Amino acid sequence: MIRLSGVRKTYGKVTALDDLELDVREGEFFCLLGPSGAGKTTTLKTVAGLETPDAGTVELDGRDMRGVEPYDRGVAMCFESYALYPHKSAYDNLASPLRSPRHRLPAAQARERIGEIAELLGISALLDRPVGRLSNGQRQRVALGRVLVRPARAFLLDEPLSHLDAKLRQQMRAELKAIGAVRRTTTLYVTHDSVEALALGDRIGVIRDGRIVQTGTREEIWYRPYDTEVARAFGRPRINLLPGTIAADGGFRSADGEVELPIRAEAAPGTQVLIGVRPRDLTLGESSGHELAGTVYVTEVLGRSVEVTVRLGEQHVSLVAPRGDTAGLRPDDPVRLSVRPENLLLFEADRPERPGRRIGQ
Amino acid sequence: MMFRKRLLGWLADAALILYFLFALFPIAWMVILSLKPTNELFSTYFSFSPTLDGYRTVLGDSEGIPFVRFFVNSLVVSLGAVALSLIVGLPAAYASARWRFKGSENLMFTLLSFRFAPELTVIIPLFVLYQKLGLFDTYVGMVWVLQLVTLPLIVWIMRSYFADLTPELEQAALLDGYTRKQAFVRVALPLVKPGVAAVSLLAFIFAWNNFVFPLILTSNEAQTVTVGALSFLGGDRPKYNLTAAAALVSVVPPLLLALTIQRYLVRGLSFGAVKS
Repeated sequence: MIRLSGVRKTYGKVTALDDLELDVREGEFFCLLGPSGAGKTTTLKTVAGLETPDAGTVELDGRDMRGVEPYDRGVAMCFESYALYPHKSAYDNLASPLRSPRHRLPAAQARERIGEIAELLGISALLDRPVGRLSNGQRQRVALGRVLVRPARAFLLDEPLSHLDAKLRQQMRAELKAIGAVRRTTTLYVTHDSVEALALGDRIGVIRDGRIVQTGTREEIWYRPYDTEVARAFGRPRINLLPGTIAADGGFRSADGEVELPIRAEAAPGTQVLIGVRPRDLTLGESSGHELAGTVYVTEVLGRSVEVTVRLGEQHVSLVAPRGDTAGLRPDDPVRLSVRPENLLLFEADRPERPGRRIGQ
Repeated sequence: MMFRKRLLGWLADAALILYFLFALFPIAWMVILSLKPTNELFSTYFSFSPTLDGYRTVLGDSEGIPFVRFFVNSLVVSLGAVALSLIVGLPAAYASARWRFKGSENLMFTLLSFRFAPELTVIIPLFVLYQKLGLFDTYVGMVWVLQLVTLPLIVWIMRSYFADLTPELEQAALLDGYTRKQAFVRVALPLVKPGVAAVSLLAFIFAWNNFVFPLILTSNEAQTVTVGALSFLGGDRPKYNLTAAAALVSVVPPLLLALTIQRYLVRGLSFGAVKS
């Protein structure tokens, strides 16, 4: 269990963490998602004890960690820079925790353990090599191995898959959570990749400018995003956000008046809003729900499905449809779209100082 | 165009050869001088009957001057000074590279300032102190005073080596379960080995070449080659051939040291400059 409350950290004039609140439950796989510079790595290092917060408390398993040295916290961390010992072989890097006074194992047992981990990560053949002669992807796996090789109160993983090639990344993403040690151990996983966060996280925390914006399961983050930026962060193609206002009848009317959607929102008429609908929630042709009429702008094949961009008045929306439904669609063909009312999200309009918050659905 | 380029090349070569002759001439002169017999010292320039008598006299301790002892003294004192500076200076350099604490920059600057002041400004008070403390003409006294020369050098150069090392390596060691001291010894120190080799050699040469401290703070027991070589100039007739032989013999240890650690040197001296 990891709990951060009211954690502040500044470097000179730069605020890295700003009253950060984070609660990772025992045994949970928690993904911290945010753009670079949001404070993800600082958060990990604060938990590890490598950075001392200016204010706030860090608790591990309910114990306040103030004044506890990193080597006494019992956490293992995988650095984004790998931080492998360049003067040692891959084997000696993996063996490092098992030779330390705190996690020492007899040499024979250590060798067995390292063998298992190397097997798991597909680096058995590389163990004798000096770290300098490994590729980035191989180094990253050795760095991950150094974390998994020893028991820990929590694993802190800083973008551990970012340097793997696409195929290996996908494979490792699938395997990572199945690893016994990971399944049993509280894991705080930092990434800037929303696909990774959705695939791995039991819960996801979205961090921005040193604050946690939203914490929740993938369903909560997906269906009830806190604001437009969280909504934009998840899902490709991105969520459609149409600008408009709340009409006198309480419905939505787009800025150019071409799109009208009846919604139930508790917003005053005249409020500037954005209405959001995910590309996979828009259906081509008639079906239940609200209907919209527009013309095809462009189509793009994504494999088995097709992304269709449709012009609705002055705005464009994209939707993803099965390939069969889009056969014969040409630019400027008229199309009808439908969307189920429960799939509409209503946000305040974005402002320069902050993205618009969700106010409906 | 081609011709002009080639001409410039020749001119550059000629300039380099000229400079080479200019720079090597004193050494060549010393070699010639050291091979001259005493009676031809002042009578000839380049034609003489070469002899190794000068070297025999110097290394044979004749003339009543214990040159071999001076030589051993120099070795003991210089190696001792470098060793002490490494023991004290490496942790100091590491700490100052990794942690800012109150007054840390002032402390580092004070250390550097030992190199600003000419040694002569402090030599008289040191002489008095050494007389009173019984450190005059002792190994301990010499090793101690040479810290003024070797310690700032080692601390400041090693500081930049440690600063170039990413702290994440030691952080990884901390999370592997090692203490800060173990992280320093097992991770940081092995990675700056080329730097340690280069800076040790440099400090050794500085200590070996130091003249003022042994001149004033030793008389006989702990005297070093730099001062000892001049002893041959005393007496009724200055024996320049013996001084030249002594000087050439005393070049050998730094030269040998430089050759043995040569492969570290290039890496060591360019470490901070080249981003990997």
